[in-house]
Amino acid sequence: MFKTMEEYLDALKTEMKDADPALVQDAQADAREHLSTALEAAREANPAVSEADALGKIIEEYGTPEETASAYREVERRTSPALKQTTKPRSALGRFFGVYTDPRAWGALLYMLIAFVTGVFYFSWAVTGLSVSISFLIFIFGFPIALLFLLSVRGLALLEGRLVEALLGIRMPRRPLFSHQGMKWFDRLKALLTDKATWLMLVYMIVQFVLGTVYFVIIVTVLSISLSFIALPFIQEVLHQGAVYNNGVRYYFPSWSYPLLVLGGLLLWTTFMNIIRGVGQLHGRLAKWLLVSE
Amino acid sequence: MTEISSHTRKFQKELNAGTSSLVLLSVLSRSKEPMYGYQIAKMLEESGPEIPMMKQGTLYPVLRSLEENGLLESTVEPSVSGPPRRYYKITNDGREALKEWAEIWKITKKFVDANLKG
Repeated sequence: MFKTMEEYLDALKTEMKDADPALVQDAQADAREHLSTALEAAREANPAVSEADALGKIIEEYGTPEETASAYREVERRTSPALKQTTKPRSALGRFFGVYTDPRAWGALLYMLIAFVTGVFYFSWAVTGLSVSISFLIFIFGFPIALLFLLSVRGLALLEGRLVEALLGIRMPRRPLFSHQGMKWFDRLKALLTDKATWLMLVYMIVQFVLGTVYFVIIVTVLSISLSFIALPFIQEVLHQGAVYNNGVRYYFPSWSYPLLVLGGLLLWTTFMNIIRGVGQLHGRLAKWLLVSE
Repeated sequence: MTEISSHTRKFQKELNAGTSSLVLLSVLSRSKEPMYGYQIAKMLEESGPEIPMMKQGTLYPVLRSLEENGLLESTVEPSVSGPPRRYYKITNDGREALKEWAEIWKITKKFVDANLKG
């Protein structure tokens, strides 16, 4: 029925077209690993066997694309992605303050702080790698360097995906996608260069730098404003420092305004946490769009 | 394996959902070396009855979910030819779980047998 392994993999992909792209990628990697190992064993046992004949028996044992697809769906249904929550209907106010008990909001906050560091690293790696690869291409040893760089981009993309899934709760690939095995390294370089996924990953690495910086600046700003509102009564009453200092004159807020100021600070931070949760989800979608190949 | 009714197939599938995890943990706990999917499938084929209980393709998602739950851990290693292979190894949590699961299996087996005899 299937003449080549690629045909089986394509059929499996078609069968899983409604599934999460990350799950499809995992299933493809597993099937590729199994089928090529089994084919190799079949060839060792009988060198004369054709790929189609050997594949027939192997697939009978491995399962049809339909059976395999349903097995992945079944297990995925039982294993929820990290941090997936069962949603309970709650009042608007409950939802607003419930953000503090939502691991996705804290995860997003942590992710955005980390994004500053990873963003700087990805950007420097991408820019250095690109310029070194391009300028060395005039020498013959420039080609292996370019290949290594592009492979490192793939590796970093997988790593970033794990981070996104752990902190933002968006399902990302758990396996690297190896589609160029058995190729000469030069063909492999060509395949990587012509693969849209590689370039999208590079775009992500550069975009992450901008986003990471913006996230970091906004988080630090809003955190300090909220904290100064909340800490204002303490500063005025215990430390006896005027909250506003201008031209050598200290101004004090009247004590009746303390509850309002503290409440304002808390509300500001709670609103911000809600926004962070939303932006985290958006970022997850961006990561999925750029890092997970169709 | 000619004509199997859809009821039977569904029953077999539901049974396999639990037993495959138990069998995979047990195989990996007995193996000294980390094993990859194809190796495990071959081993099960040799140990099992003539009729394969489950398709080999269904083992992979189970291995993956066991790893996600911290019962197995895996490393990817390049192979001489073909794509890299994922080698699975049982963790300490996995061994703990296996002990408990094997106990549950014994009790379940006894319970089902006792009721089948009537």
